[in-house]
Amino acid sequence: MSARLDLRDLSRDYGGSAAPALSDLDLTVPAGSCVAVVGPSGSGKTTVLRLTSGLDRPDSGDVLLDGRSVLGVAPEERGMAMVFQRPLLFPHRNVLDNVAFSARVRGASRRRARAEAADYLSLVHLSELAGRQAWELSGGQAQRVALARALAARPRVLLLDEPFSALDAPLVEEMHDLVRQVREALSPTIVLVTHDHVEATALADEAAVLSVGRLVQHDPVDRLYTRPASLVVARQMGGRNEIMGTVRGHHHDSVLGSLRLPVDVRPPPGPGVLVFRHEAVQVTDPDDRTADAVGAVREVRPSGPRRLVIIEVPGASAVEARAVVYAETAPGHRVGVGERVGLHLSPHAFTVVPPEPSAASTYAEPTSIPARDGGRRRGAGGQRPAVSSGHHREGKEPA
Amino acid sequence: MSVPLRTARGVLGLLLVAWFALPLLPLLLWASSATWSGPSPLPQEWGLRGFTAALGDGAVEASLRSLAVGIVVAALATPAGAMAARALRLGTVRRPRLVAAVLLAPVALPPFAVVMGIDVVLLRLHVPAATGVVLVLTVAALPYTTYLMRAAYVAYDFDYEDEARTLGASRRTVWWHVRLPLLAPGLAAATFLAFLVGWSDYIVTLLIGGGRMVTLPILLASTAAGPGNEPTVAALSLAALAPPTVTLLLAALLRRQLSPTRSADPAPPTPPVSGVPVPQGAA
Repeated sequence: MSARLDLRDLSRDYGGSAAPALSDLDLTVPAGSCVAVVGPSGSGKTTVLRLTSGLDRPDSGDVLLDGRSVLGVAPEERGMAMVFQRPLLFPHRNVLDNVAFSARVRGASRRRARAEAADYLSLVHLSELAGRQAWELSGGQAQRVALARALAARPRVLLLDEPFSALDAPLVEEMHDLVRQVREALSPTIVLVTHDHVEATALADEAAVLSVGRLVQHDPVDRLYTRPASLVVARQMGGRNEIMGTVRGHHHDSVLGSLRLPVDVRPPPGPGVLVFRHEAVQVTDPDDRTADAVGAVREVRPSGPRRLVIIEVPGASAVEARAVVYAETAPGHRVGVGERVGLHLSPHAFTVVPPEPSAASTYAEPTSIPARDGGRRRGAGGQRPAVSSGHHREGKEPA
Repeated sequence: MSVPLRTARGVLGLLLVAWFALPLLPLLLWASSATWSGPSPLPQEWGLRGFTAALGDGAVEASLRSLAVGIVVAALATPAGAMAARALRLGTVRRPRLVAAVLLAPVALPPFAVVMGIDVVLLRLHVPAATGVVLVLTVAALPYTTYLMRAAYVAYDFDYEDEARTLGASRRTVWWHVRLPLLAPGLAAATFLAFLVGWSDYIVTLLIGGGRMVTLPILLASTAAGPGNEPTVAALSLAALAPPTVTLLLAALLRRQLSPTRSADPAPPTPPVSGVPVPQGAA
């Protein structure tokens, strides 16, 4: 069932906008694996699927299945079934006949097609709805049927175009469980398009982050969280902490102090943005001598049982910019706005990415920051950089 | 709903039925009368004189001719309207507003003036009368078919076709198994209206046909012009009303049977996801 998919230098320009929908995309999806294509709206995610499935033709580049080009092959013969955001169940067919569609259009008898379809309905635990009409199903049920219908086509590559984004959260988790079980049972090659990094984590082995039609990073999902290659990737993966500073040797100097970088992070010297996950920041007592920095709570945003706490760490002087650090507190850990807190930063979570061009050009390098492992920056007193410019991003979700 | 409101709606409904049904009453009475002279409110003598006379005047041939015109006009105008509507929906035509205006123009222009002009052209081109009538009526039916199919295409989701393609359906299969069934209600309505344009036309048939092409409306009008033909005229009128009325009733019945109404009982809850049975030959 599964095949290796290679996309080679795929480009597509629909005209009408400054940037092409897709530029020189190189992506390999090993047989039986699941690769998530992650990006905001308009980043070219759906174009990837349309070019892969043959529903659209690239301006240049190639699509290879098990090493053979399928560029000249019609969509119906490529062996790639797609599940869209909406279930798109044919309203003139009942549930069983929707799932039997693929077999029927390939010439199977009605009886055989329905027998096969029943097996796939059973796969998604909806056998009892076989006789229902499509409009009688709930959103989750309809999307399960759509998944069964796509699997019944026995695709060599299964293409999922944000298939669960219209479902309620509990249903999404249920669908994720189902996809995991389908992967275990059938090992299909899957390309999953999603804007949700959490969904990518839940389902995919690797993720490819797209921005304005370009692939900006393709790595295992965990690495995208801990070692994003750019601010765009960090933001797309839900990262919030961006501290502008300067790389000197193996340290990053900023308002937070001179922080030692992990051994595998070797950015070039000069301006750089320290990036780390807010989940890796621990809020502690302001008098904690082991705290890496001390600041004041500016805002607290409840996020389920946890709280997202936004903390301002002041610069060394009135003219020095502040740093804004995002942290997540455990359930039950309450902090109030204005309260002073200490921050423990996990050094292994640090990485440094290039600053945005505008930030780099206006950034003034700090001087004479003593290097120390883990660094420590206090709201008052202690050693401080003579000049520092903090850079932060307001806590908005990526577009 | 409150009782007075329900009563008012019922009365209004009855009035509407009466509005449409009352004109048919004199027709039914005239068609089934042998003798009916005023001031009697009902015929003095009942009989089928009108139907017999209509048959003798060639009602069957005229009906068949009208039927043929209606069917050919529907067969030409419906696909043409559907194609125009699809092009307008997909934006594949230049100046879509102008094209839409041109397509709808036959409704706005006075048919008599247009037909007089076209008649001369058709005569000069030696186009046979029947062909000319069908061609002109097809153009006259286009606004209706285009309008209805545009509405159908606005509600139509082309993603169904993409989905079907990735499931293994060729373009032709998509056309037959996806597009046609999903557009069927719009196509049926467009076909019906186009058929009516052909079936009930008088002016175009009279002018382009030159009076030699006797369809049911032509026969009806010429019969109505003579004195004392009321039973025959009534019989012909009923014959003209029958096909569209029967078609409408059949369509309403069919729609009622096929309508996608939600079932009263909700779908059973989805069982929790646990072990996955593997379909044969899928792994």
